[in-house]
Amino acid sequence: MEFSATEWSAIHNSLRVGLLVVLVSLPPGICLGYVLARHRFPGKWLVEVAVNLALVVPPVVTGYLLLQVFKPAAPVGGFLDRALGLRVAFEFPGLVVAAAVMSFPLMVRAIRLGFQSVDPNLETAARTLGAGWWRTFFTVSLPLARNGVIAGCVLAYARSLGEFGATVMLASQREGNRTLPLLIYTLKDRPDGLASIWPLVAISLLLAAGALVASEYLERKGLRHESA
Amino acid sequence: MSRLDFNCRHRFPSGFEVDLAFEATGLVTALFGPSGSGKTSVLGMIAGWLTPQFGRIRLGSRWLDDSPAGVHLPTERRQVGMVFQDHWLFPHMSVGDNLGYGQRRRGSGPPIRFERVVEVLELEHLLSRYPGSLSGGERQRVALGRALLSNPVLLLMDEPLAALDEALKLRILAYLERVVTEWNIPTLFVSHGQAEVRRFAQQVVVMERGRAVAEGTPEEALGQPTPLGWTHSAGPVNLLRIDGAMLRGDQWVGRLGGQEMKLPAVQGTSSNPLFVQFRPSDVTLSLEDVQGLSTRNHVRGVVSRMLELAGGIFVAVDVGQILWAEVTPAAVRDLGLQTGSKVTCLIKTRSLEVVG
Repeated sequence: MEFSATEWSAIHNSLRVGLLVVLVSLPPGICLGYVLARHRFPGKWLVEVAVNLALVVPPVVTGYLLLQVFKPAAPVGGFLDRALGLRVAFEFPGLVVAAAVMSFPLMVRAIRLGFQSVDPNLETAARTLGAGWWRTFFTVSLPLARNGVIAGCVLAYARSLGEFGATVMLASQREGNRTLPLLIYTLKDRPDGLASIWPLVAISLLLAAGALVASEYLERKGLRHESA
Repeated sequence: MSRLDFNCRHRFPSGFEVDLAFEATGLVTALFGPSGSGKTSVLGMIAGWLTPQFGRIRLGSRWLDDSPAGVHLPTERRQVGMVFQDHWLFPHMSVGDNLGYGQRRRGSGPPIRFERVVEVLELEHLLSRYPGSLSGGERQRVALGRALLSNPVLLLMDEPLAALDEALKLRILAYLERVVTEWNIPTLFVSHGQAEVRRFAQQVVVMERGRAVAEGTPEEALGQPTPLGWTHSAGPVNLLRIDGAMLRGDQWVGRLGGQEMKLPAVQGTSSNPLFVQFRPSDVTLSLEDVQGLSTRNHVRGVVSRMLELAGGIFVAVDVGQILWAEVTPAAVRDLGLQTGSKVTCLIKTRSLEVVG
């Protein structure tokens, strides 16, 4: 398969977006997943609604709201531009922000399930052995929740690869700033479009399937001892 | 000096209330009671994962909890080791890593050495295995070793023998006794087995519905007519200590105080002293020593108390230790039994079971 420069840049962008979304979302995803799994506090339902909102709101609407927040004329967008030189709307960071917002609920959900599957008695046992909160978290809770964390990463990565609705609002359809779905959508209306899309579709399938295979492998590796 | 001074009150949302005060002075103290009596909650308060609404807990010279003064030491700083009923070994760590998990903590007194724990609990061949592949008895030993290696000032054990079958119970009990004698760690254990309490503990707190209903030595505390021993189990259990067991001719014999007992065959590996267990209903009481019986054991003693229960009358006979006999009310009437009566207890050798 021969890819043009445009196509390569879309593949490259999709991969970068997927990996960056996982990296950026993972720390807050783990924090939020743990808190939702382990703690009860007033207003918890509000947090849950806020986290899951992106699952139910039409992606284009989410994209429109993100645009209103991050456009250069808006306070947040303007501040990021002035203080950090970071332009979100219409630029590459916009691809990441849109995908991150859309995939975050899926990641939190999986990680939360991971922590819920860890018996709190194991954490208590660690405390009686002299481990403080941090040591307990990093040596007991997190390693035992690993399958949930892995699943969360795969879901977030896959959702980012497929993200279209919010992205199309927040990022411009500029050459070199497209992900695979955006490029496929653009090529569709060209005369020979449907045929030239095939290789890109194949690559999309490969990237998604690769993530699933990797997660299967990691989960099995973790399970080997526990079920022995 | 008391090692543990406990005085807590806690009301759960369900309405169940634990209100208990006791001092543990001996090396091994048992919390004895039916399930749901609040025993595990007491361990939780001492370990620190359950914060009582009112609580004053002192361990040696340290206050673990003093709610009037606003003191509540977090679990990890209490130096209280805990062996859980379900072990709670870390499934993602090898046995060796489980054992070493709490080892970093520096305690007072000489540290307990890893190699020695592995040796005493016979864990050498398990070190590279994972908890998922261990048997119940092996898990119990690992959990005990892990708690020991955190160098605890007090060891808590929640029903350490409950999940094990009879044969395994005796083996683990032998390990527990080894551990307590080797390291002299004050131990508080929760149990609902009379035999293990009598054998292992010097002091017993009997709990029911969140409160202490009896306290004292095993003989005193388990002899109280609390509803517990009598409705939640088959009544008192006879577990007598026998010294100097030996084979004379083809008959095993041993001493019960100054009297001789004829025993069933003893396995060569059994410890000395050993314990025999038998049911109170297997004991016949006689006012005089009758000759010409096939029953081989004739143990003389004095009636120290009598308890009337649904099933019959339990007579405690002081033979140096307390021996329980179950008789009918009619028999008590006909023999004129009362506290202070001199009796002979007739026990068939066949009804004795040698335990450890």
